[in-house]
Amino acid sequence: MSGVVDLSFWELGLALLLVAVVVAISAKQALGLERDLLVGAVRTVIQLYLVGLILAAVFTAARWYWVLLILCVMVGVATHAAVSRLAKPIPGIYWIAAAALSVSTAATLSYVIGLVVRPQPWWEPQYLIPIAGMILGTSMTSAALAGDRLQADLAARREEVEARLALGFSGREAVQPLVRASLRASMIPTVNGMMTVGLVQLPGMMTGQILAGSSPLVAIRYQIVVVCMQAVATAIGSLLFVRLAVGRYLTPAHQVRRYLL
Amino acid sequence: MQDGASPARDSIFQVERLSLAYPGRRGQPPASILSGVTVDVERGGALTLVGPSGSGKSSLLRCLNRLEEPTAGTVRFDGRAITEWDPRELRRRAALVLQTPVLFEGTVRDNLCIRAAGVALDVSERRLCETLGEVGLDAELLDRDATTLSGGEKQRVTIARALVRDPQALLLDEPTSALDPPNAALVVETISRLRQARRLSIVAVTHSPELVRRLGGALLYLVKGRVQAYERLDDAPDGSIVDQRLQAFLAGDHPPGGSA
Repeated sequence: MSGVVDLSFWELGLALLLVAVVVAISAKQALGLERDLLVGAVRTVIQLYLVGLILAAVFTAARWYWVLLILCVMVGVATHAAVSRLAKPIPGIYWIAAAALSVSTAATLSYVIGLVVRPQPWWEPQYLIPIAGMILGTSMTSAALAGDRLQADLAARREEVEARLALGFSGREAVQPLVRASLRASMIPTVNGMMTVGLVQLPGMMTGQILAGSSPLVAIRYQIVVVCMQAVATAIGSLLFVRLAVGRYLTPAHQVRRYLL
Repeated sequence: MQDGASPARDSIFQVERLSLAYPGRRGQPPASILSGVTVDVERGGALTLVGPSGSGKSSLLRCLNRLEEPTAGTVRFDGRAITEWDPRELRRRAALVLQTPVLFEGTVRDNLCIRAAGVALDVSERRLCETLGEVGLDAELLDRDATTLSGGEKQRVTIARALVRDPQALLLDEPTSALDPPNAALVVETISRLRQARRLSIVAVTHSPELVRRLGGALLYLVKGRVQAYERLDDAPDGSIVDQRLQAFLAGDHPPGGSA
């Protein structure tokens, strides 16, 4: 197969022109999103260019410590994104999110890299970084969903939790139904995604591989790996996050810290 | 300021200089909920907590079964500081009934039998029927879906759920305020009968003079987390109540300090 059609600056400019259509719609419908759209477009260009430059440099340098550094930065950004939209602050939530995301990513990544893909060397940035990114992205989204649901439920179902405590349940037992609801809420998008994968739209990574000239049959094999690893990353990430986060609301004497709600 | 300490008697609860404050948010000073509350509840006795909303009545109640952790002071239950009890055991012995009845998914039977794993509980058919009878409910309700009950029935099921655990004390947080007058009267009736029949110690937060009169025992009037008045009703007919606000409250004129 031939190589990839490279895009010139002119062609990129034409793509960005599409944002102007969105800005026009926003202005016409008084959505008030024009400013954010422009900022978003500029950020898209700058962020992706920076990432492209850094990745290109890391790929050429091919040093494991650069790969590790990039992974750490990715975990840091994902941690911030996972907790920054919580309605109310939870003490220590940054550490909790960082731990949940690191563990779920490390576990999934070692399995996929060590047993499934097996690049040489194992830290080969061309494989490790994009795969880690996909795992981290799913973990981050599901942890954020789970945290959001947990927080809303603790406030809305506080009486139910306290009724269980008053009946002699432990703190963990009293919040168990809420933990379950949060986990379900965080996993449903992933499960739904598995049902329709490839039918509604081609997943981003598969699209990328096909555009880059891979055979669709190679691309789908990678996509199957991706779907499976995203499922497990969702499960481990949100499970750890919710179990640790709910602990912040409970005391050793089986009480709910009401002032956090 | 008066308080309700009477160490000579056999007490089920002894509350001493109890204070509760929540940590302040974002540099705000801590919010004080209760300050220096001292009160005693006799074994088999009753105490009603009255006062304007936000006066700390419910918080005091929740300190008794340690749903809240006091910032200072002590609470003793059955002779032992509550910090020495396993909170789960304490809460089974001092059973709290919440203002809005919380019933879990399933039948009335499921609700009565609910318990943490590994906890022994007598849930024989006979016992469940007896307990429903104690709160004035028919045994045939046992297999009804709990969501189909009326408000008054729900509240009485939550009281029965507490009783199945064979508690020494019953803590009631505004047990009648979510109910219409006929249902409220039934619940008042149930509670006052329980105090006699079971020799249960009862602590109740309420705005209902009817409940205070029927329950007897003692009356603690809280404002802004401090004890304003303490009166014993058992030894004194209504006329001998000293505090005028409580006199008026018991006469049914208005709740004591409907506003703070």
